[in-house]
Amino acid sequence: MFEKMLKDETGQDKLWSPNPVLGVFTVVFCMLSLGLSGCGGKSPNEVLPVQDEESVLNDQDNSNGENIVKAVNFDHELDGYEPLKKEYNFYFTYKTVHPWWDAVALGIEDAAKQYEDKGIIINYEYLAPNEVSARDQVRRLSEASRQDFDVIGVDVADVSIVTPVINELMEDGQKIMTFSSSDASREDGCNRIAYVGNTHNYEDGADLTEALCKKLGYRGKVAILVGTRGAPCHEERALGVQDVIARYPDMKIADIAYDEDNAEKAYEFTQEFLEKHEDLAGIVCCNMSNPVGAAKAVVEAGREDEIVIVGMDHDQEALRYLRDGIIYALGVQDCYSIGFDTIQVAVKIADGHLPGEDYPEKTEEITTIIYQNEAAKMLQEIYGEIE
Amino acid sequence: MDQLRQNGMNEKQKKQTIAYGIVGGIIIAAILLITTIWVSNSARIGTNQAVNRVSEFYLEELAGRRAQVVSEELKNNFAYIENALAILESSDLESQETLRGFLGKVKKLYGVDKFALVDESGIVYTEHSTASGLGRYAFLSEELTEPVISTANLYGAKKQVILAVPVEDIVFQGSRIKVCFIQINIDEMLSSLTLQSGNNETYCSLYYRNGESLTNSDFGNFKGESNLLSALSQADINDKFSYEQLEDDFENGVSGQISFKYQGYQEDLCYIPIEDTNWMLTILIRDNVISDQISSISSGMMSRSIIQIVITVIVMLVVFLILIHQYRRNARFLLEQEKADGDRIRAAFAQIEREQAAMENIHAAMNSGLWSMEFNEEAEIISCTWTDVFRKMVGYESEEDFPNRLESWSDLLNEEEKEGVLKEYWDTVRDYTGEKTYDVQYRLHTRHNGWRWFHAAGRLSRREDGSPITFVGLFVDIDDEKKMEERLEKQKIDLEDALKAAQHANKAKTTFLNNMSHDIRTPMNAIIGFTSLAAAHIDNTEQVKDYLSKITTSSNHLLSLINDVLDMSRIESGKVKIEEKEASLPEIMHDLKTIVQADIASKQLEFYIDTVDVVNENVLCDKLRLNQILLNLLSNAMKFTKPGGMVSVRILQKGNAPEGWAAYEFQVKDTGIGMSREFQEQVFEPFERERTSTVSGIQGTGLGMAITKNIVDMMGGTISVASEEGKGTTFTVALQLRTCSGTVRQEVIPELQGLRALVVDDDFNTCSSVTQMLSVIGMRPDWTTSGKEAVLRVKLAEDQNDEYAAYIIDWLMPDMNGIEVVRRIRGIIGEDRPIIILTAYDWSDIEEEARKAGVTAFCSKPVFLSELRELLESPFMVSNTEDTILEDNVSFKGKKILLVEDNELNQEIAVEILQETGFIMDVAEDGVIAVDKMKAAKPGQYDLILMDIQMPIMNGYEATRQIRALDDPVLASIPIIAMTANAFDEDRKAAFDAGMNGHVAKPINIPKLMDLLRDILT
Repeated sequence: MFEKMLKDETGQDKLWSPNPVLGVFTVVFCMLSLGLSGCGGKSPNEVLPVQDEESVLNDQDNSNGENIVKAVNFDHELDGYEPLKKEYNFYFTYKTVHPWWDAVALGIEDAAKQYEDKGIIINYEYLAPNEVSARDQVRRLSEASRQDFDVIGVDVADVSIVTPVINELMEDGQKIMTFSSSDASREDGCNRIAYVGNTHNYEDGADLTEALCKKLGYRGKVAILVGTRGAPCHEERALGVQDVIARYPDMKIADIAYDEDNAEKAYEFTQEFLEKHEDLAGIVCCNMSNPVGAAKAVVEAGREDEIVIVGMDHDQEALRYLRDGIIYALGVQDCYSIGFDTIQVAVKIADGHLPGEDYPEKTEEITTIIYQNEAAKMLQEIYGEIE
Repeated sequence: MDQLRQNGMNEKQKKQTIAYGIVGGIIIAAILLITTIWVSNSARIGTNQAVNRVSEFYLEELAGRRAQVVSEELKNNFAYIENALAILESSDLESQETLRGFLGKVKKLYGVDKFALVDESGIVYTEHSTASGLGRYAFLSEELTEPVISTANLYGAKKQVILAVPVEDIVFQGSRIKVCFIQINIDEMLSSLTLQSGNNETYCSLYYRNGESLTNSDFGNFKGESNLLSALSQADINDKFSYEQLEDDFENGVSGQISFKYQGYQEDLCYIPIEDTNWMLTILIRDNVISDQISSISSGMMSRSIIQIVITVIVMLVVFLILIHQYRRNARFLLEQEKADGDRIRAAFAQIEREQAAMENIHAAMNSGLWSMEFNEEAEIISCTWTDVFRKMVGYESEEDFPNRLESWSDLLNEEEKEGVLKEYWDTVRDYTGEKTYDVQYRLHTRHNGWRWFHAAGRLSRREDGSPITFVGLFVDIDDEKKMEERLEKQKIDLEDALKAAQHANKAKTTFLNNMSHDIRTPMNAIIGFTSLAAAHIDNTEQVKDYLSKITTSSNHLLSLINDVLDMSRIESGKVKIEEKEASLPEIMHDLKTIVQADIASKQLEFYIDTVDVVNENVLCDKLRLNQILLNLLSNAMKFTKPGGMVSVRILQKGNAPEGWAAYEFQVKDTGIGMSREFQEQVFEPFERERTSTVSGIQGTGLGMAITKNIVDMMGGTISVASEEGKGTTFTVALQLRTCSGTVRQEVIPELQGLRALVVDDDFNTCSSVTQMLSVIGMRPDWTTSGKEAVLRVKLAEDQNDEYAAYIIDWLMPDMNGIEVVRRIRGIIGEDRPIIILTAYDWSDIEEEARKAGVTAFCSKPVFLSELRELLESPFMVSNTEDTILEDNVSFKGKKILLVEDNELNQEIAVEILQETGFIMDVAEDGVIAVDKMKAAKPGQYDLILMDIQMPIMNGYEATRQIRALDDPVLASIPIIAMTANAFDEDRKAAFDAGMNGHVAKPINIPKLMDLLRDILT
């Protein structure tokens, strides 16, 4: 289940109905409809929720500090599982060196620390290229497979390129899992054992776009900064964005660009958007880097009062833009929990357990949409930054 | 009227006094109250000021110390990094594992959260991980050129301090290591600084100089996420301080204090920069809490003081009124008391007079004499008064006869009690505690009635210091009661003794019966059983002989048991008397040897008798009983010593006897089975036998030692035993006997004086004893324990022309027997000097051979001085062989005996035994018949009468007396031998007293009977 509370900026119920009963009905209806669309044609049995699938979409007036608590859950403790070994060796590789994955790393580090407190040593390598490269990822996987790792985890850079390698390594007896943002699922023909991370990228894109549309009064042109071509998370979010905009006749997609999860590129693409589309009303950013680039370009262009920006995650700079009202909303993924749960699942896989009672095939983490009034607290909470 | 006016004035005066008292009390209370309030307020103000001053000082001191701690902590951690990098070796950089090992060791060594190296790509290497850190550590975003201190709010609560230093010249797996850093949990660091706990209102925190908190924690009312300076800009700053000064201090890193009111709290903040950082350490105290507490305490104190003053004044007034009331009551009460006391004293005097009169009457009636003494302050008697009754009780009439002084009484005290009674008297007088009471009983020599018992008791009146004033006491004649008590006590003791004796006798009787039942039944069983068997196998001569032999053994045992029992019984009943007659110890010892010789030989035992220092050989003693003692001991020794063992008797004369007496020790020693320590303690108890003895199959009555002990006791001696199981036993009888015939002659034999003598005996004691005797005689004795050496000595003496005049040589010696030694000595010295063989055995068998070898004479052990002297004085060549004529072949054929015996079986036994030896037997069934037969007999018809004692009609004594009274002198003088079961000494004596010539005890010991018959008839 995930819930969505759709309210406009002034706090009035959406669907243009003053009737509260009707409003509630509408909310429930929207929740159901978004939930269904979020499934993206996936089998309901695919997701075995360990924790509730939850995507919270509040507008800034209606949101409060509790969202911050929900957005990133630092209060984690290991489940009751008793590992069979005293020491584990894991290898994790992800798309690119980026603060988002550094946040995931914190969860990994904390889980390893808690295991250490119990007398179990978790050794791990958590490495990525400076730029997203599926070929580099394949190379890293191959090299890791030649070493004595209990489990190899991968944040899939490109499903089509990486899936065959995963399957090959699985056939060689390696234990492979996917984690963080991008999965290569069974439907994709991938035989990986399990996935821990965001399973609702489509819904996240749709939710953010819904907020944007609401802010714009369901009217205007919107540009989309996707991220890395082929990266499932980016692509799915972009799909969600497009689907929502398509619902509103007065809304149009002005442009779509792949910034490769790079702020500089996003900056440049935004500049292009601003030049090309003088009536551009909004920008939807589908990864962590591009909201910063987009905001920077908008501010530089002096059009921050005209253009509504929504984006993903909790980059410090992006949060500052949110605090300052440049960015309208950010969909914050719980990176810490992703990292923490990745280690727990990896340990179980290393012990020879398959998905089932001990852990689900997909461990789903939540995404929370936050607004301006929550930015400062988020900055303080995550980065210790005080206004 | 005057009286009424006077009373009115007094009343008015009293009222005025009370009014003044009340007003005075109120004034005092008011003064106290005002003073207290003033003092309390001053104290509160002073305290507040003092507290503020102390708080400021305390805050500054507190902040300074904590800042120093933080600074030191940071410096130490930088030093850790430098130290760790200094010890990093190339081997630690060989692989991921070695590097992780190194990082892990350093982390544990310094106790930090993380110790890490960062390469040029931003890869962070830690103990367990290799991960990108560019996004997590802000200081990695730029080239690090100098050490930095930063913080990283690494996701919420995981606030950490990071100390990083630039690194050069370290390459790991192709990448250059650029930075080394450590992580310290800032909350943990602060936890050692903070004072927050419970209701404590003191806080500590760290801030950047721009007012940002280093931690996420709240600081008093300041939220963690708030900027401190911004918050304080909203606070109500005290006049003494300014916000601008605070801001400047923070900006410039200067320490200071500020007092302000924030969110309703009056607080003091102290801040101080941390050296080498842009941090400010802050300490916050809420002083309003302290002042509230002080105010609360002051108010409480004041309230309590006021209450206290009011209560004090009220109490004072109440006490004042009570005192006045009490004073008046006391005055009235004293007047009444004085009157009542006067009445009571008068009544008391009258009562005392009456009681004194009554007491005197009572004393007179009870015949108890009063006495009294007066003492000065030094407890010395200043007067003494004996009443007339007292005097009369001791037989005196007037003060002239019995003056009023202590000595009149004390001189009459019995010497046995005098000291004790006077001590008791003076102890009582000088007991200044007054607790002691004089209460004594003593004998006093009365004038007319000799010694009489009196009871005296008295008490003292004393001064305040305890010194005596008057000692008054009673004196009662208790002589009759005392004597009655003594009689009763004696009766009681006698009764108890009688009871004990009766109980003991009863117990002894029971024990005796139990033992006798067993001990008599055992041989009786054998006798009856074997008799039955003999009857059943009467045709089998050999078997019957065997049975008869066993019956004989059992019979003998039974007889000895009966003898012992009877002996014991007689001893215990006191019928046995010790009859002291002159006796010769040598004779006793030789007899003893003769008696046991046969048993010693049959048991193949070695037997020695020797003497040591026996000077008095003739003593007055009961020879029979001494013999019995020694025989009993020897009998036991032989019984419990196995063949090949040794039994010895030694007589020692001790020198500790008074004149006319001699002390002897008779030691009977064996190498037998010995006794357990437990049994040694009971060996002299009747019927006690060592279990091992029974097990060993050695029979005994268990009475021998008890009898021996009793006899020794009767002779005034002691008997003791020393024994060890498996090694042997020594009984020692110590007797002190009266000497007679003086001592053995001690003077030298002139003919032998100065001549040499040689003693040869393998027993050192014998050598020593004989050598000493020879010295007494005047000879120069040498001794040796070896026969061979003796021969050599003789040869040497001959060579030196200092030959031995006499030789005393033991018969049996281990290296060479005595005969052979004699032979060899004779070969050297020729025939003219005497050689005496010393032996403990019968020498008759070897005499011929010995004489042929050159033996001059024999001397049997034990050797006594008298014997040795006699031997050496006598002409040596005399032989006594002629004296040893045996008269075993005396014939009784044709001799006629009148047997007087009422028991048919005994008749038959006696007739059979005597007829076999040739006697012609006639029998009389009782004394009357015997007398009749003798009256009717012709002289010579009977040669002898065997007379039973206990018979019907006429007993043996009477019959003997009547026979002795016959007219015919031949018939009247016929030898009569008592043959009776009355076997005791008194029976024997009675028999002789009745005129009999001998006494034979039943059962008949045939050899003894024959010896007696032989003695009488030949």
